[in-house]
Amino acid sequence: MSASLEKGINALKEQVDSSVAAFFSSCVHCGVCAEACLFYTETGAPETTPINKTEPLRRIWKSEYTLFGRIGKMLGLTKKVDDQFLTEWETLVYDNCTLCGRCSMVCPVGNDIALMIRKTREGMAAAGHAPEGLIGASKRAVTIGSPMGVKLPALEAQIRHVEKDTGLSVPVDVVGAEYMVLLSSMEIMNFPEFIGAVAKIFKKADVSWTISSEAFEATNSGIQIGVSDIAAELVQRIVDAAEKLQVKTVISPECGHAYMAIRWEGPNLVGKPFNFKVRHITEVLDEFRQNGRLKITGKESQRLTYHDPCQISRRGGVIEQPRNLINMFSDNFVEMPDTGKMNWCCGAGGGVSTNERADEVRLKVFQRKKDQLDEIKPDAIVSACSNCRIYLEEGLEEYNVDIPLMSLTETLAEHLAD
Amino acid sequence: MNNNEDKTLEEMTRDEKTHDERTLGETLRSQGISRRSFLKFCAATASMMAMSPAMIPKIARALEQARRPSVIWLSFQECTGCTESLTRSHAATIENLIFNTISLDYHHTLQAASGTAAEAAREAAMKENFGKYLLIVDGSIPLDNPGYSTIAGISNVDMLMETAAGAAAIIAVGTCASYGGIPHANPNPTGAVSVTDIIKDKPIINVPGCPPIPVVITGVLTQFLTFGSLPELDDIGRPMAFYGKSIHDRCYRRPFYDKGLFAETFDDEGAKKGWCLYKLGCKGPTTYNACATTKWNNGTSFPIESGHPCLGCSEPDFWDGGGFYKSISMPTENITKTVIYTAAGAAAAGVAIGAINRSRKNKAVASHSKTGIDDLSK
Repeated sequence: MSASLEKGINALKEQVDSSVAAFFSSCVHCGVCAEACLFYTETGAPETTPINKTEPLRRIWKSEYTLFGRIGKMLGLTKKVDDQFLTEWETLVYDNCTLCGRCSMVCPVGNDIALMIRKTREGMAAAGHAPEGLIGASKRAVTIGSPMGVKLPALEAQIRHVEKDTGLSVPVDVVGAEYMVLLSSMEIMNFPEFIGAVAKIFKKADVSWTISSEAFEATNSGIQIGVSDIAAELVQRIVDAAEKLQVKTVISPECGHAYMAIRWEGPNLVGKPFNFKVRHITEVLDEFRQNGRLKITGKESQRLTYHDPCQISRRGGVIEQPRNLINMFSDNFVEMPDTGKMNWCCGAGGGVSTNERADEVRLKVFQRKKDQLDEIKPDAIVSACSNCRIYLEEGLEEYNVDIPLMSLTETLAEHLAD
Repeated sequence: MNNNEDKTLEEMTRDEKTHDERTLGETLRSQGISRRSFLKFCAATASMMAMSPAMIPKIARALEQARRPSVIWLSFQECTGCTESLTRSHAATIENLIFNTISLDYHHTLQAASGTAAEAAREAAMKENFGKYLLIVDGSIPLDNPGYSTIAGISNVDMLMETAAGAAAIIAVGTCASYGGIPHANPNPTGAVSVTDIIKDKPIINVPGCPPIPVVITGVLTQFLTFGSLPELDDIGRPMAFYGKSIHDRCYRRPFYDKGLFAETFDDEGAKKGWCLYKLGCKGPTTYNACATTKWNNGTSFPIESGHPCLGCSEPDFWDGGGFYKSISMPTENITKTVIYTAAGAAAAGVAIGAINRSRKNKAVASHSKTGIDDLSK
């Protein structure tokens, strides 16, 4: 089977539910969502208005599920969804949206526009209109186990390095451990220090943890490309591993969409509640802090700010925890002008970073983040998403700004008292 | 001892004599009511009954010379609220004393005698004063099955027929006796009827209210005693002097009604400011009674003054008026119905469209073919 327009239209029909129908019926075309979207504010292109990106889904809703739409369809007056139209919308849906959800926050009638775009991607992908980069990542995620093609031997090699560097052991496949830690390929390949930081903190906190050799990958390309069937398969791998190792809690690492995929979409994708808890690493660390398991020494005096990863802060609600942690090791913390649930996206989420075609617009809209940073001029930026971290670094380099990026978990580990 | 005993007996005999022969004026004075108080009462009664001031001396003279009439009070299907209303005044009002000065020969609640002795008193009064006594009735009369209410084995209807035969006039006190009242309310299980439904050959004065205002009862008695005649009655047998104007016409909140200022709920600004209670179901506009002028509890207040809408208790079938808190304005109800029917129609159409949409959605779900990694490109 291959992708086809017919499959795409059928997928869009499937995606229309009572919420979507209510959202489209409620839209008053006010355009407030435009000003909330960095792709609109930085390009000024009217077609990047968030609600406009849902047009394929809207057309299907109108022509299939509304009385006037169906009459119009019979008379041949309805705007059709065809390949030419989908090609036109492909860049809006994938390249010009990071699913950051800022538009959903400002909609005066309460439409979850980010969710509607996520649903539109289902139709796009089934019709064969997903970007090459995301298709490749999805294939690697399913066949190899990681969108970046990281295999188990690569992880094992990194673990050996970490164990050698830190002198700590990194448990793998320990049955009955309290926590199962997931990792993103980005961390395994670019930031193996994260593994060392976790090993150090969890040893100090005196809790048992493990990594699963069968499901160590946290990211979920199915979510980004918009194919629930693939997303469900990837979530199922984690569920199987967690059940096999009988862990109490699965920890999502410093990665935005991974957290959203496993915690909020996960149970819906596999169709049943998990028998374990899912927490973001900063939630777990803040719990340690509350229980007095974290002893900190020395404070950073440099001016620190926190970049809220959209899927963790805005869509995930984990806003206070990272700040509590930063305040443990910093006495010079400063908030960005728009912060917490209204923070601006790094511009690379939602699969945009995996989609090479979007590189140009991604760097263009980074201007928004740069403006934010210009206002507070921090010495360093802390974040809790390695994707944000890499692409903030890249953006800053592009704009010739020299502000280092720090991982929250890694920085915390550095300040642990002996 | 003997002297004293004789004297006491003599006094008792004299008292017994004078008890029947003394005029009302003499009785009142013997009870310590000054002439001034008496005249004040006469003036108040005259003004209450909308008589000219010239009538005051006539009332005074008539009352002075009136003999204590025999009164028989029959209680049928009732709650004794009417008797309570009349007797439980805060102070010994002059109305009470007037009432004391009538010869109340039979009254379930107030008489000391019971059983055979009580019935004997009634029969004796009827015999001695045949054609002259006043019959007061409170409570309705069950006709479906007379067994619902009997006194000394005599059914209400039989006792009424028997006692009414020799009455000079009948006063139906309370809404039950006047119009059937609460026992008559739908579905009327006892087949309750009013006095006027049974007695056709006697003058009947209806003094409705649940309960009626005490001064209205004494006022009617006064007129009967003064002029020996019945007061002017309206089309449903009520004295015009007390029931001639609606509560609404005499209501102190009427100006708010005229300005269109209404309380919408019992705790809103309007309610606090004392605006018209029409929208909260006040039956003042259709209720004819003297509450708004005579008031209750020694002239303290009346229901509307306490912030509650008038229930319309002095009107026939007030219990079946469709709800005490439902506004008497009918268009509102029709609009509500229209809205409900329209909404129901729209909802039904919505359900139908929803069902069609659901089947289309289900069809789409059924024709879902799993998208794998090989299905992402054409």
